[in-house]
Amino acid sequence: MTTVTEQPTRRLNTAKAMVEAIAAEMERDDNVFVLGEDVGAYGGIFSSTTGLLDRFGPERVMDTPISETGFIGAAIGAATEGMRPIVELMFVDFFGVCMDQIYNHMAKIHFESGGNVTVPMVLMTAVGGGYSDGAQHSQCLWGTFAHLPGMKVVVPSNPADAAGLMTAAIRDDNPVVFMFHKGVMGLPWMKKNPRSIGPVPIGEHVVEIGKAATPRSGSDVTVVTLSLSVHHALDVADELAGDGVDVEVLDLRSIVPLDTDAIIESVSRTGRLVIVDEDYQSFGLSGEIAARVAEHDPGLLRAPIRRVAVPDVPIPYSRSLEYAALPTPARIKAAILEAVGR
Amino acid sequence: MTDVLFPQISQKDPEAEGTLATWFAEDGSAVTEGDLLAEVAVDKVDMEVLAPCSGTLSHAAEEGAVLVQGTVIGSVT
Repeated sequence: MTTVTEQPTRRLNTAKAMVEAIAAEMERDDNVFVLGEDVGAYGGIFSSTTGLLDRFGPERVMDTPISETGFIGAAIGAATEGMRPIVELMFVDFFGVCMDQIYNHMAKIHFESGGNVTVPMVLMTAVGGGYSDGAQHSQCLWGTFAHLPGMKVVVPSNPADAAGLMTAAIRDDNPVVFMFHKGVMGLPWMKKNPRSIGPVPIGEHVVEIGKAATPRSGSDVTVVTLSLSVHHALDVADELAGDGVDVEVLDLRSIVPLDTDAIIESVSRTGRLVIVDEDYQSFGLSGEIAARVAEHDPGLLRAPIRRVAVPDVPIPYSRSLEYAALPTPARIKAAILEAVGR
Repeated sequence: MTDVLFPQISQKDPEAEGTLATWFAEDGSAVTEGDLLAEVAVDKVDMEVLAPCSGTLSHAAEEGAVLVQGTVIGSVT
């Protein structure tokens, strides 16, 4: 018989939870190190590496020049030689200058070497909009990375998952793209959602990559979402509970692998599906989820699928236009009400 | 009883105001010396507030309050 004791926790925001997970792995394994722009003295512009330089020194926490191809390539080389680098691409929007390293090298070396060479690294990057940072600093783009074979893609929504998924990502022998939304970090200078702060287990804490979570169970409609949109979906679900609409919220947590079973299981109970995705609508995650449900059994659906995503335009800088493009709580609420025929 | 102060972030301007951004440790919770209690921000510079000793934390200011540096934000007894 096993005895389950409840693990002690402490309250952290998502940024601090990520830092604690990275630090714990750096303590455990000398092969783990961090590199990227402003990850050292500055602590990461979204506080993803705050304090690591003081704790581990400049040989294990390396500030790099503004040369994404160079330093991501360096991380790939280190990974193939047995290190476990965590390399930060400051904003995912900057992937354009370094995509050859990412999708032709990082993602393909394991395959091209016939499985003989592994690339155990984490590429972490800030995603998402909502704070008027313009079209080149506000995208999510997880669908772009998920489309290309060879990388796991992890997208946490809360502190405990960010810590547990970061630990899993560092220990994974595959390249893992770890995409944190700036709006879930719990930073004082950003608009702060209360769901960005929460209990994080103290000690060993791993969240398996590829398993969705159900932060809210419901029977009327399934909202499949991820990252900051989970916070919005839960807020809307709380509101609609008062109107007699029982919303289930599924937090994907990773999109490669995608937990198709969890989606099918939920939709088979509710018969209604709303997909909320802060990435562009066309040719992306929302279409993929709809296809997987339809491939499994289109008879599961009692109402047409609704998608709440970013329309196919660059994210505007103007606050009012930006919020017209983003999957806001108002848009999510309208889609849910349509799905349930209210 | 030991006071928990809003830390002095700006040395240039001792009267500078900042925001009590986040209470990580809840009112009435047991804390151990060195635990993360709160985070404050002055002019986009964040600073953590750690427990000065072990005991029970009482909040004396609300999250989101704008305060002058050095203000008592809580106590540990």
